Amino acid sequence: MTSAVKQGPRHQRSGGGRRGWRFDLDRHPVWWLFPLALLLTAFYLYPVLEVVRTSFTDATLLNSAYSYTLASYRSVLADSALPQIWLATVIFVAGSVIGQTTLGLLIALTLEAGFRRRLPGVRTVQVVVLATWIIPGVASAIIWQLLLSEANFGFFNAMLGLFSLSPVPWLSDAKVAIWSATLANIWRGTALSMILLYAGLKTISPGLYEAAAVDGATALQAFRYITLPRLRPALLINAVIVSVFSLNTFELVMPLTGGGPGRSTEVLALAAYNAVFHDFNLAQGSVLAVLMLLLNLAFTAVYWLTSRGLR
Amino acid sequence: MKLKPGSRLFAILLSGLLQSPDVAHAGDLVAPDRIGRLDAPKSFSFRVLTVHSNNNAQPKFAARMAALYEKYAHTHPDWRVNIQLMSLQIPQEHARLLEQARSGTAPDCSAVDSFEVPLFIRAGVLQPIDQYFTKEEIDDLFPFIRPIVSDAEGHIYAWWWTTDLRLLYRNMALVPDPPRTWQETKQAAMAAKRAAGPGLEGFLFNGGRNETTTVDFLPQFWAQGGKLVDERGTPVFGQEPNKTYLLNAIAFYRDLIQSGASPARVASISNYDDLTAASISGSAAMMVNGDWAMSQMRAAMKPETFAKWAVSMLPGPTADQRSTASGGWTFASFSKDPVKVKACMDLVREVYMGPATEVLERLPTRQSEFNSLPMFRTDFYLQIKQYLKLGQARPGLPIYTEISNRLQIAISEALAGTRTPEAAVDEAVDQVAKAAARYQ
Repeated sequence: MTSAVKQGPRHQRSGGGRRGWRFDLDRHPVWWLFPLALLLTAFYLYPVLEVVRTSFTDATLLNSAYSYTLASYRSVLADSALPQIWLATVIFVAGSVIGQTTLGLLIALTLEAGFRRRLPGVRTVQVVVLATWIIPGVASAIIWQLLLSEANFGFFNAMLGLFSLSPVPWLSDAKVAIWSATLANIWRGTALSMILLYAGLKTISPGLYEAAAVDGATALQAFRYITLPRLRPALLINAVIVSVFSLNTFELVMPLTGGGPGRSTEVLALAAYNAVFHDFNLAQGSVLAVLMLLLNLAFTAVYWLTSRGLR
Repeated sequence: MKLKPGSRLFAILLSGLLQSPDVAHAGDLVAPDRIGRLDAPKSFSFRVLTVHSNNNAQPKFAARMAALYEKYAHTHPDWRVNIQLMSLQIPQEHARLLEQARSGTAPDCSAVDSFEVPLFIRAGVLQPIDQYFTKEEIDDLFPFIRPIVSDAEGHIYAWWWTTDLRLLYRNMALVPDPPRTWQETKQAAMAAKRAAGPGLEGFLFNGGRNETTTVDFLPQFWAQGGKLVDERGTPVFGQEPNKTYLLNAIAFYRDLIQSGASPARVASISNYDDLTAASISGSAAMMVNGDWAMSQMRAAMKPETFAKWAVSMLPGPTADQRSTASGGWTFASFSKDPVKVKACMDLVREVYMGPATEVLERLPTRQSEFNSLPMFRTDFYLQIKQYLKLGQARPGLPIYTEISNRLQIAISEALAGTRTPEAAVDEAVDQVAKAAARYQ
């Protein structure tokens, strides 16, 4: 490689060693990419391939011996609990995407309007919203446990009580608990949506709004015909990122509900955790992880295909 | 003299290094991550629950444990014990421990939750420790302990140093007499609610997705004579009469909720701290809780409020059918080096076998310790000692964790009303039967 640098025509022209290295790397980008590729292979690709391999075995933590089989896939797919796990996952992910996007967009629009009008306190609001994103999932779960507690000290039920409303079984009713968990996830993730959509809003030329105002467009019309179409790429990437994050979330659900009551809040990620750490079933946990991987890949494919269409 | 920038940086780094805890206190025998001298010639790794170490969040317990460690360090100057902390994420910690043991990287000496010990014995990763304890010491253990920590030949593999017990706590101002039966418990809870008005919860227990739910529930099943597994270790809780006993116990729980004696929120309670908090806030008349809650309540309540609380044996279907559940923590050695196994057991004997139970206010596992340790000579602990004789441990079989997980789901589903108790129990039986092959 060194000799190639010394013999290169651009190197001879420039005469500087540093230019020579850049030249060489320009022509042979593999050397740029090699360390990253090594890192990705060791810490990302290898574990993924290992999970896929384990999913085709009957491996458990109880026994070091295992054999290759499709039985783990058959067992997971035939499990009577799987429909409930899918349902909880769909509600959790879809609810999070809709909730976080809607709230994130509202906050981003408000902040943008605040900055345009140079209102005081806008930066504070931004920091407060971001603070929720900084809080780790487990800590968020503890905060929401206190808020949703059905004991006398539960915040939400105490608030309802002030208005003479009946308490809500936030975590003990199977039909309500999944929505409570989704609400907690929306609270935690809204800041991310806000950042992404606020960045998207910043790319829209103010001239478009000025032209619309000259034409007599209302605020709603400006939002409908300028903001939304221009924000589509940001909305799309937001939807994909929130979907992937929510699908992989278990650190929030586990301390909040443990997957209960029954299995009403047992999302796919939590089911994979339970399979490995409660049932010591590495193979079934890996099958569930592969299902999550496929879903994540599907979300990414949708994003890739749609973003190509948008271009 | 003016230092050059590079020299100034070096001076700052050097002074920082000299002030760092390990260097500045090199002479100290106890640090958050170490027992013994830094330069001791021999060392072993020691994984311990944070609350059972000098890293306990409560300063008084941390200081007491540090004092015990220091005493050990003085008598074993050749050893440095490298402390690793274990969190309360029990399934995760034990799965990691099992994997480490398989790959030969487990700590030399480690805490193991008592109900997980059979899993490690079966995996063949623990060293027998019979030789480090006398026959008298082993015979002195409460009866439920030895089957859990022994293999088929009777060798013991872990020293169970502290135990616990589920008790019925009651506020005597609301429930003067201890209820002995399920029916009396329901009536007492309803009467307390009527007397105290809205806002009071009659009877609280764990009913969510956690091991705590199984531990609270099993005494109701055992009191009827129920068995989870037979002598060969085969799950039999789905067979009659055990299935009926399970359904009876679930029916008791459901009746408590449907009658209003217990709030529906028990289906989402999965830790004892929630129950203790309810008692401290004065919103619970009765609860199932561990013996350790007593000291937490004493610390948080006014003396006159605390004086109203008493404990009794858990109720049963009849006054004569009673049971309770015991758990606790053990230490085991994963090292294949006999010198380190002995060092581990020396630490267990000198720090944990008695002294630590007293300083941490945890129940000892040997009957004689209730007489020899001053703290346990009170009326409360004498009462506990009697109950411990009736205590049952969870089955000493690896499949227990699977049974427990499925029972938690079944109980939680039945309490939340997402399945009928029969369907929930049938599902648990099916799932355990499918999983049984993994444990053979």
